[in-house]
Amino acid sequence: MGDYLEKVKRAVTDLDLDAIAPLVRDALDSGEDPNAILQSMCAGMVGVGELFESGEYFLADLVLAGEGMKEGLEVLEPRLQAGSMGVKGAVVLCTVKGDVHDIGKNLVGTMLSSTGYEVIDLGTDVPEDKVVEAVRANNAVAVGLSVLLTPMVESIGAVVRALEAAGLRDQIKIAIGGACTTDELARRMGVDAVGRDAVEAVRIFDGFVGA
Amino acid sequence: MSASHERVRAALELREPDRVPTFDLMNEFSTDIEILGKKPSPLGPLIANPRVSDLLDKVLPHVNTAFVLDKVLEQLTNLGAEAAVRMGYDSVWLPYFPVLRLADSRTITDIFGRVNDFAMDEKGNMGNPIYRTGLITSPSAWDAWDKKPIFRLPEKVNRVFGRIQKSFGERLFIFGFCNYGIFESIWQPMGFERFVISIRKERSLIDRMVRFYTDLFCVLLEAEADAGIPGAIYTDDLCYRSGPMLNPKMIEELFGDSYRRITETAHSLGLKIVIHSCGNTESLLERFADWGFDAVHPLEPTAGMELSRAKELVGDRMCLIGNIDVSHILVDASREEVFEAVRRAIHDAGPGGGYILGPDHSHPAISVERLRWMVEAGREYGRYPLSV
Ligand code: B1M
Repeated sequence: MGDYLEKVKRAVTDLDLDAIAPLVRDALDSGEDPNAILQSMCAGMVGVGELFESGEYFLADLVLAGEGMKEGLEVLEPRLQAGSMGVKGAVVLCTVKGDVHDIGKNLVGTMLSSTGYEVIDLGTDVPEDKVVEAVRANNAVAVGLSVLLTPMVESIGAVVRALEAAGLRDQIKIAIGGACTTDELARRMGVDAVGRDAVEAVRIFDGFVGA
Repeated sequence: MSASHERVRAALELREPDRVPTFDLMNEFSTDIEILGKKPSPLGPLIANPRVSDLLDKVLPHVNTAFVLDKVLEQLTNLGAEAAVRMGYDSVWLPYFPVLRLADSRTITDIFGRVNDFAMDEKGNMGNPIYRTGLITSPSAWDAWDKKPIFRLPEKVNRVFGRIQKSFGERLFIFGFCNYGIFESIWQPMGFERFVISIRKERSLIDRMVRFYTDLFCVLLEAEADAGIPGAIYTDDLCYRSGPMLNPKMIEELFGDSYRRITETAHSLGLKIVIHSCGNTESLLERFADWGFDAVHPLEPTAGMELSRAKELVGDRMCLIGNIDVSHILVDASREEVFEAVRRAIHDAGPGGGYILGPDHSHPAISVERLRWMVEAGREYGRYPLSV
């Protein structure tokens, strides 16, 4: 039985898209615990992250890994117990107002949902009140803001202020990322962290929730 | 040959000009009109008016807006050239991109299948359309796509660049821009995620599109050369802040032959050709030179690109263009900071020729005053023999 778990993990790490869904199906048919299969897929994704950080994998490979996860989860999800996905908590993610760059945000979203977060993706060009609304409605533990355009950095401050005004800032962590973000900008905007890539983003959010 | 032409050509051919030439991307309407002291266009606020937009939403789906938009875009190209002359630039990246259609009062599609939002700044200036998504979602969507407007593009480009070259070509070295590169032309109309998955699952679609856009780009180069302009921009953002988006081996496999064919076509027509790729391009610079590009832009500092490193890697094979930061230096820096950034750029990339001074990108928050300081500093520090 354990063999399937290893194979699923390897198929995810090796970006073997054609193999992932059939292997998940075989694993289920052979009686593997759906939660154990999910963990194998997540472990495979961690492997992808490591290969990305070591420079062997590129951005496009993260997209492929995300697609593999999606295909595997389509088979797995009906068999998972409610609540086993998104166990680390809900994260509200978006690209800030005035900015429509979304490739990075999407990747961060894929990596977060593949590693146990429930991701509330609000899309691009998102005004601060929508973020507040989503945090409240989903009882989110953290907010992730993607921003690539210098003219739009003030939109980060607007989100911070809106969360403060709503009395939510103390209970929520905020991370930013994207082409024009720096540690200095994070300090100036009053956010908690800045992520250089999608793999680091997972580490940051894990730090936030103590995972 | 005018002093500007001689200067730019020398830099592109890695000879020392009389001084470091300047270059700008004249593709922000708001920047151009500020330079020229003109009033914002009334078109933006007019379209934003709810009564007008309601009417447009009813009418636009049934009419072809190309005729009107092509004219507006030609005016923008003219404005860009005029503004570049006013600023005293030696060369300019000049877009003429007659591919847009108003789908409704908020949406601009293009003839390649991109869907963009209509953009307007707070003064009412129309901004560059903001890419949202794509319509080429399957091989059959590409088969069914109406390509006739694309086939008409070279003729339009030839006509307008002919006029522009006649009016401004003596004074400015014009790098024509009339279509995006192959990578962007394929991924944007289908979305990045879908593109990446298609490389795996629908490779024949990707190969067909690569061939289509390579052929198109080569014909557009013929149209530009025939119009008399001396240079062309090949823009394909292959990288982001941390490096290439695809594995460089995959980039070579998918696009290498096309890039070589494009530069060979340009050179056989007497055109200089610049590759523009944002992001951290360090690991691709040598390939750019191998593929035959004469110069590389923008060497984006926010993505960690350093001119000294680029000079070391490819300075003997390619001219370097840009690197003046648009996140701080050309937005809100002091005069001293702008002068220092220019001095440093010339110090790092200027020796022996092969550097053209310019911003790394354009966006509406770029300050015209700081662009002027950049040009001024270029004159102060850029005279050969250099003493920076
Ligand atoms: C919450 O926690 C986190 C944690 C980590 C996070 C995170 C959040 N968000 C991101 N991360 C991190 O993880 C991700 C995955 O590893 C990474 O995400 P990134 O988003 O950085 O990386 C992505 C995976 C891939 N990277 C990208 O997708 C961006 C690449 C570059 C080349 C880029 C692209 C592709 C585009 N662009 Co634009 N573009 C550039 C970019 C150059 C660069 N240096 O990045 C940049 C961002 N663009 C720029 C500009 C100016 C513009 N662009 C524009 C348009 C576009 C396209 C539409 C053509 C396209 C975007 C398509 C899309 N659907 O996203 C325009 C603006 C449109 C708008 N209103 O938003 C326009 C204004 C151009 C114009 N004149 O019209 C520049 C901004 C300069 C500045 N300082 O302001 C730019 C840096 C290029 C440059 N040479 O300077 C990390 O940053």
